[in-house]
Amino acid sequence: MGSEADITESPGIQCIGLSKAFPGGVEVIRPLDLTLEGGRTTALVGPSGCGKSTLLRLIAGLEAPSAGEVLIGGAPPAEILRKAGLSMAFQDHSLLPWRTVRGNIELALKLARKPADPRAVRDLVRLVGLDGFAETRPGALSGGMRQRAAIARAMVTEPRLLLLDEPFGAVDEMTRRQLADDLPRIWEQRRTTTLLVTHSIPEAVLLADRILVLSPRPARIVADLAVPLPHPHAPGVAATPEFNAIVQAVSAALARGMAAAKPLAAQ
Amino acid sequence: MIPTAKRPVSRPDYTGLLGVAAVLLVWELAGRALAGAYILATPLDVLAHILQNAGLIGRALRETLGNAAIGFAAGNAVAILLASAALAWPRSEPVVSGLALLVFCLPLVATGPILRVLYGPGNGPQITLAALAVYYTTFVPLLVGLRAAPAVWFDLVRSYGRGRIAELRFVRARASLPYLFAGLQIAAPAAFLGAMVGEFTGAERGMGVLTIRAMRALDVSAIWALASVAAAVSILAYAAVGLLARLTLTESPPVILAPPPQPRLTGRHVPFGNAALVLLFALLIWWGAMEAFHLSAFFAKRPVDVWQALVTAPDAAETRVRLAVALGETSVFLLPGVAAGLALGAGLAIALMLAPALGAGATFVAVALRSVPIVATAPLVVLAFGRGAVGTITLVAVMVFFPTFVACRHGLRQAPGQVLDVFDSYAAGPVLRLWHVQIPAMLPAFFAAARMSVPASVLAVTVVEWLATGRGIGSLMALSASLSDYDLLWSSVVIVALLSVLGYAGIGVMERRILAVYAAEQVTR
Repeated sequence: MGSEADITESPGIQCIGLSKAFPGGVEVIRPLDLTLEGGRTTALVGPSGCGKSTLLRLIAGLEAPSAGEVLIGGAPPAEILRKAGLSMAFQDHSLLPWRTVRGNIELALKLARKPADPRAVRDLVRLVGLDGFAETRPGALSGGMRQRAAIARAMVTEPRLLLLDEPFGAVDEMTRRQLADDLPRIWEQRRTTTLLVTHSIPEAVLLADRILVLSPRPARIVADLAVPLPHPHAPGVAATPEFNAIVQAVSAALARGMAAAKPLAAQ
Repeated sequence: MIPTAKRPVSRPDYTGLLGVAAVLLVWELAGRALAGAYILATPLDVLAHILQNAGLIGRALRETLGNAAIGFAAGNAVAILLASAALAWPRSEPVVSGLALLVFCLPLVATGPILRVLYGPGNGPQITLAALAVYYTTFVPLLVGLRAAPAVWFDLVRSYGRGRIAELRFVRARASLPYLFAGLQIAAPAAFLGAMVGEFTGAERGMGVLTIRAMRALDVSAIWALASVAAAVSILAYAAVGLLARLTLTESPPVILAPPPQPRLTGRHVPFGNAALVLLFALLIWWGAMEAFHLSAFFAKRPVDVWQALVTAPDAAETRVRLAVALGETSVFLLPGVAAGLALGAGLAIALMLAPALGAGATFVAVALRSVPIVATAPLVVLAFGRGAVGTITLVAVMVFFPTFVACRHGLRQAPGQVLDVFDSYAAGPVLRLWHVQIPAMLPAFFAAARMSVPASVLAVTVVEWLATGRGIGSLMALSASLSDYDLLWSSVVIVALLSVLGYAGIGVMERRILAVYAAEQVTR
């Protein structure tokens, strides 16, 4: 079956006429057509409350669209959910407080019905800089450490599709830079299709191959920008004129989107 | 609501011991001062009585504990089943909760004798009353706990394509544990209370039987000794479940006294529809059980018999007048007692915020005394304050005071720290902090306590009327049981249960209005 092959490889994502309005008539996403290539990393950037997280939840199948459809590898999201081929790191870290960091990461393997893999868990704990905290419960960790544990949990099942909702919001600058070096390398090795929501334009440029800039609510795409920087990034890439040019382009697109939305908001 | 994962650094804390020592000292001194008044036995008298009658009390205690344990297990199993049913089929929750409340509001004083007739000799009534005394206090927090997890934990489970079974296994079951323990902690002494009330109805052995004998003989030392043993057992049971919770959990058990008011009501007529459904199911279960077990119509009255007794029978008007007079007598004790208990509980909790040093010891004593069963307290209060209005009102107030105090202490501590920091940054004094932050934060806990005080105070007033005063609805129920006037007994049960549910619902309505202003997130959730 074609869809199975697509999901086990690196599934592309298609949104066809996708829209979402919440009860009470609040329109969050205007009818949207979007195609994301499999095995690549895409960042969604936009102002607060514009519907980025809702779009992520629609793609994950956690929210039903008001109209239109989402196809992952040619099949509805339920198919990839059924095969546990998706992982999501939520804006709120969503760690279970009674499980240790290790227990929380292992939980993802249990939920995905995959065999225990202590080595993979250990490697991920080290990758996200939580060495020495594997047996600590979330209550004793800082906000940034919890978020890193949640990223490790999302990656342990080696998902084909990885959805990250502002995963570095509380992570300190140094760790964030380290993760920005390490994570794209792993995603590339595993050919993971990654969709990332972020507020930080430099972070989007560092992590993604492509950046979609969304307008204020109801969300529509105001810019679709490729990031032509080679991976892995050379040290000091963030100081190069190429990097800054992309940051400026995203920033300008965001500003355009905000300006275009103002007359609508005033109505 | 997520229980916080804070656990204080362990350091020996002697405030509780100091509190107990203070209580014992005051008790001994008061006992000596009142020597010869046949009111108070001193701790030394109590100890001497227990040592002299160790065998007798030991056998009675074993009997009562055995029945309480079986009732505890059965009642909690029913609570877990009910909560699971409400979870599996959310639309059934208002009806399941309503029926559970209605049964919990049945006055034990009347259900005891009825169960005695149904079961005959043996331990049936003791075990059933123990189960009836515990299932609601477990059902309520468990129902809250099974839903207490934040939505994102369920999103996590669903993002791996898993469904409700995995939600239950990985999230709900564990997230509800602190709530289950909070319920079991209150249930442990309640089971002992239920078993003792069951023994009042004509058992041959047990702590209840010894208490009745001691009261008839006006044996002050025996009354105080039995009350002390019952209190100690209750406190130990409460503490044992607390210890088990601390060993099992990483977070502290929450204090939950009543279910939150139904937040999902969508229409003006929905509550009335649900109430009608609850009533219909209650009548069906009542009638169905009587018919299924072929119970004799002489003592097992059906709904239609109660209707006849209250409405259509030739002496219906007389029955109604007798019930109204008895209810009038009871309400004279009940209402001031509840008001005093609520006011003193909340008032002392607030006052102790201004004197934190006293607070820790007082809370320990109050938490311990909250678990002392009413059947142990009633004879003591009657000895001390007499069989009149003062004794009865005091007993009702005591019954309401302790849970209200403990709940309000907990509520006051829920004041958000960051808001208090804002007040501190303006050097605002403790009274301003109390008025603007802590008292509003206390209101949900206060109302939860107020709602649960309805069945608790009805139990208290009917027990004391039955055991001591010889007036009011409790006495009428005891009298009608002893005269085999089952029409009057069943009518009393129905009226008391309905009035209790109405009182509970009335406080719920008031609560929603006040919380909509002071704790909107609890109402709109």
